[in-house]
Amino acid sequence: MNFLARHLEDPVRFARIKRWSYTGLAAVALAEIVLPRIFPGGEFHFPFEDFPAWGSLYGLVSCVAIIVVSKLIGKLWLTRREDYYDS
Amino acid sequence: MTLEWVHPGLLLILGGCLLPLLKGRVKRAAMLILPAAALIDCLLMKPGTHGVTSFLGQDLVFGRVDRLSLVFSYVFSLMALVGMIFALHVKDDSQHVAALTYMGSALGVTFAGDFLSLYVFWELMAISSALLVLLRREPSAVAAGFRYLLVHIFGGLLLLAGIVLHWSHTRSLGFGDMGASSGGVAWAMILAAFLLNAAVPPLGAWLPDAYPEATVTGAVFMTAFTTKSAVYVLIRGYAGTEFLVWLGAAMAVYGVVYAVLENDARRLLAYHIISQVGYMVCGVGIGTALATNGATAHAFAHILYKALLFMGAGAVLQTTGLRKLSEMGGLYKTMPVTLCLYMIGAFAISAVPLFSGFVTKSMVVSAAGEAHRPLIFLMLTLASAGTFLHTGLKLPYYMFFGKDSGRRAQEPPRNMLVAMGLAAAACVLIGVFPGLLYQYLPNRVEFVPYTLRHVTSTMGMLGFTALGFFLLLKHLDPQPTISLDTDWFYRRGSAGLVTLVRGPLARLEFDYVGQIYEFVIRRPVLGVANLLRKLDSLVVDAAIVGMGRSTQSLGHALRTVVSGNAQHYGLMMAAGILALLALAVFVQ
Repeated sequence: MNFLARHLEDPVRFARIKRWSYTGLAAVALAEIVLPRIFPGGEFHFPFEDFPAWGSLYGLVSCVAIIVVSKLIGKLWLTRREDYYDS
Repeated sequence: MTLEWVHPGLLLILGGCLLPLLKGRVKRAAMLILPAAALIDCLLMKPGTHGVTSFLGQDLVFGRVDRLSLVFSYVFSLMALVGMIFALHVKDDSQHVAALTYMGSALGVTFAGDFLSLYVFWELMAISSALLVLLRREPSAVAAGFRYLLVHIFGGLLLLAGIVLHWSHTRSLGFGDMGASSGGVAWAMILAAFLLNAAVPPLGAWLPDAYPEATVTGAVFMTAFTTKSAVYVLIRGYAGTEFLVWLGAAMAVYGVVYAVLENDARRLLAYHIISQVGYMVCGVGIGTALATNGATAHAFAHILYKALLFMGAGAVLQTTGLRKLSEMGGLYKTMPVTLCLYMIGAFAISAVPLFSGFVTKSMVVSAAGEAHRPLIFLMLTLASAGTFLHTGLKLPYYMFFGKDSGRRAQEPPRNMLVAMGLAAAACVLIGVFPGLLYQYLPNRVEFVPYTLRHVTSTMGMLGFTALGFFLLLKHLDPQPTISLDTDWFYRRGSAGLVTLVRGPLARLEFDYVGQIYEFVIRRPVLGVANLLRKLDSLVVDAAIVGMGRSTQSLGHALRTVVSGNAQHYGLMMAAGILALLALAVFVQ
């Protein structure tokens, strides 16, 4: 059993990984809000980039938008059975 | 061609032709020595114009060596080396010959200074790469290979027509910035041919159609050369073309949308080639020094990480025989090394800090910012989140983790892992030491990727994309479906055309056009012909027969005169003389 299997298949360890991941996410968002204000500098091109936690927010919105819109387009229009071109 | 300058593409093409004559270790050594020699050749090359040959009164330039062609040649020949290591175990010589010819032609395109030599290498690239699909020798691959070939022949003809028109206007075959003939038909045709090879929608459906059908190793080669050589010629000829900005940004999002719906692992990655080439096309369109640097740098990094990703998916395909995400899962238990190396490629394409994509993709995004284009900036950033969503999360999740498929595949052969390791090392090296790549870019680089704001913003974006992925995970389960793309027009649309022709059009022809033809054309024509025939037999024939008969009667009549008796002849002569005398007297 390799390192990954040990951690993913043990419920206790897996729960710990999950907890750390959420903590990490919170830390990243916090860092994005706080650090540029403590250490100003580093160029940005548009005012919206200066919005607190812009990257995190845009990442989450993009991810959800891509999934929802693509699935919708797929369902309404694009997806076909696998043998579509064979029949 | 002078002795001081040897074309690296020629090394690969000619060397490839000799490969089937070799055996065993010598052959394997040659497979490594050839691309290594090409790489060294490129590294030693000095800027200048080499290999100028006169042909039909035109100067063909096989060696236009400058900073732009050099940086592309470095990554092409490096990729040739990594790819040949990956393919070292393959026993099929024809695949090696095709791959080496393909890579040599891509180098030929890179160094071509005129349209004619560019065209020759362009077509050679199309044919040799089609072989990499056909040589998988399965019905679906053969069909996809022929479609690929037909599309690229169409693209090649567009290019040729554009070149001929361009020559007729300018009397020059030199290939450089096409801005002077902007908007003309030749300009547009050559651009369309370049965009077709860059897989820009709606001309790009050949890519996700063909790449997943290629051989395991062939697909790795194909990811590197066709689209990136197209990006090279676009930078060379069409930098600053406004509509490429929008086309590129739309392309970046387009690939991401299709990747959500995709179930075939290599086809999902193929859609991400389209998405990533979108960044490069957008960079070409913006056309500033930073943007063209970004397009070049991203092409460089992309070749390495995309090859790595295709190697990972190819390794799974080779060891499990599986290509659909809906059938995979649980492979992390037995393929941890492949997983780790794949993830390095995934981090690189997703622009995670310390990996190559972070220092190259952000150049293009930043160029969009510098050019004050907020919508383009947002589209490219959105596509970046989508890239991480699919290549960094969805694909590895369903391929290596997810529901355990019960398959216990082993790691691929060692040479495949070594090739993946080399590509992974390059991804990390460029990410950690961007200066290594920046020094070779065509323009001076003043871009600093590692700023606090850029790093935290990117980490936030990636982290929360991951959160979104896990929140919506149950909606992302791959379905056993396919998605329609513009290849529908020639796969299904053409079948519809045939049905239309055979059915309604054939009936229309038979029932109406045929009947009208019968009454309006055929019958009147036959009537007139009949009339003419009668006229011929009654008048012309009769006249000729009459002439013959009268001649015959005259002959009969004259025969009685020719008696053979000298007294009769003398009598007739005397009668004649008397008649002439009488006539003379009578006239007087």
